This record gives sequence, structure tokens and C-alpha cells, in this order.
Amino acid sequence: MYELLNQNQLFIVLTVILTIWFGIIWYLARLEKKIKKLESHIKKVD
Amino acid sequence: MNYVKCFSVFLISVSIITGIAIPMVPQPQGWLEFPIIPGLEDKARNIFFHVPVAWTSVLGFLVALFFGYKYLRTKNLDYDMKSVTSAGLGLMFCILATVTGSIWAKFNWGSFWNWDPRETSIFILLLIYGAYFALRSAIDSDEIRARLSAVYSILAGLTAPFFIFIMPRIVGGLHPGAKGDTAGSTPVAQLHMPTNMRIVFFMSIIGFSLLFVWLFKLRIRAAQLENHLSNKEN
Repeated sequence: MYELLNQNQLFIVLTVILTIWFGIIWYLARLEKKIKKLESHIKKVD
Repeated sequence: MNYVKCFSVFLISVSIITGIAIPMVPQPQGWLEFPIIPGLEDKARNIFFHVPVAWTSVLGFLVALFFGYKYLRTKNLDYDMKSVTSAGLGLMFCILATVTGSIWAKFNWGSFWNWDPRETSIFILLLIYGAYFALRSAIDSDEIRARLSAVYSILAGLTAPFFIFIMPRIVGGLHPGAKGDTAGSTPVAQLHMPTNMRIVFFMSIIGFSLLFVWLFKLRIRAAQLENHLSNKEN
């Protein structure tokens, strides 16, 4: 296992960074959806 | 706006994958091999993330300067909101540049912080924009706060390119591109990279700039909602 991790260090780094990056995209997309929902709600109320 | 989002996600994802997965070899034979840069080796991959993040922080500070100027001309508080939003994003990217730079410094120079001219200049920039937010939080009146911070953002924005691009190049130091740097890392600092590295680098620069636009628009919309709700409450 140690050898496997040692030989594929770059791919482990890549996996971690991609996970963080896609997490950020997911968070931003969710935030945008919420803002859109609030905007349309306010438009309706006004 | 959807194009901005999609291009930003696409370009940054491709830069992450290619920037990390493409092997670095002494004699590259094709497009899918990067050359080893003497003095940096595998650590040179950080150039695809550290430099674009630092560039985006300058972009944020310059956009804050622009909207600060627009506020002073029109006295429209929307411009103040845009200016502070942009400065906030600039500060966030500046912190990211400091963190990625410190990690790079640890593996290249032996410690996280060396008070190299480049590190000192980014530290001063962090202090300048930290003071900007401290100044804003200390003033109650909307108009006075907007006017003072517009003037401050113009002065601070003018210093940002100096601290990031000029000062570290006219003083000797550890950072690639510093005065008197004769090591093999100079080609990276002067962007004399092989074509495939340059493509990944500029894809990352454009991707991060588009990410800034996406975040900026998102924060503006959130701030407008907040203003609308607080106006209703009053």
C-alpha cells in the first residue's frame, strides 16, 4: 500500500485537488440557485 | 453569464489535470511531456496555480480602483458596493497567492517565510487591504464611508501592480525573476516556457479571471438582495 501511494503521489495530489475544486463548484452552483430563488420570490412579492 | 461559468470551470479543470498529470522529463519528446526546469523540478507545476491566483488578486484590486473612481464621479452607492466586493475578492485571491507561495517556498527554499522582497511586498499588500476593510468598518455614515474607501481603493489599487510586478524585480531575492537571478528558473519568470506549458499557463490565467467574474456577479447579486431586504425592514 505504501509503495502504491509512493509511486502515484502526483495522482493522489490530482485527486485531492479535483475533489476540492468540484466541491467549490458544487457550493457556488448551489449558492447561485438559492440567490435565483430568492430573487424570483422577491419579484413576486413586489 | 453561463458561458463565463462553463469556460471558467472547463479551463481551470483542464489546467489542474494537465498541470499535475503531465510528466516532467529531461528531454521532452512530444506535447504530453514538460521539460524539467533546473532549480524547480516538479515544483514548477505550482506556476499554473500560484501565478494565476496572484494575477486575479491584481485584477480584483484594479476593478476595485475602477469602481472607486466611478463612485467619486457619480456618487452612486452601487459603485461603492461593486468596489468593496471586488476588493474583497482581490484580498481572498491575494491570501491564496500567499498560501500557495509559502508552500512553494517551503519546498524550494526550506522555510514557509523568508522575508524575500516578493513575500514582503505581498505582505504589505495584505496589510493595505486589511486596513481598507478596517477603515470601512469604522465609519457609520454610508456616504462618508463610500467616499473615503473610494479614495483609498484608488490609492491602494495604484500600488498593487507596483508591489506585485515591479518592486520584486528591481530588488535581489530568492524568487524567480528577482534582480540578479541567473538560475534556470528565470525562463519561467520571464514566460520563456515551452509552448505546451505556456498553453496550460494561459488557460489557467483566463480560467481564474473568469472565476473572478463569476464570483463578483454572485456577490453583487447577494449584496443587492441584502440591501433590498434591509431597505424593506427600515
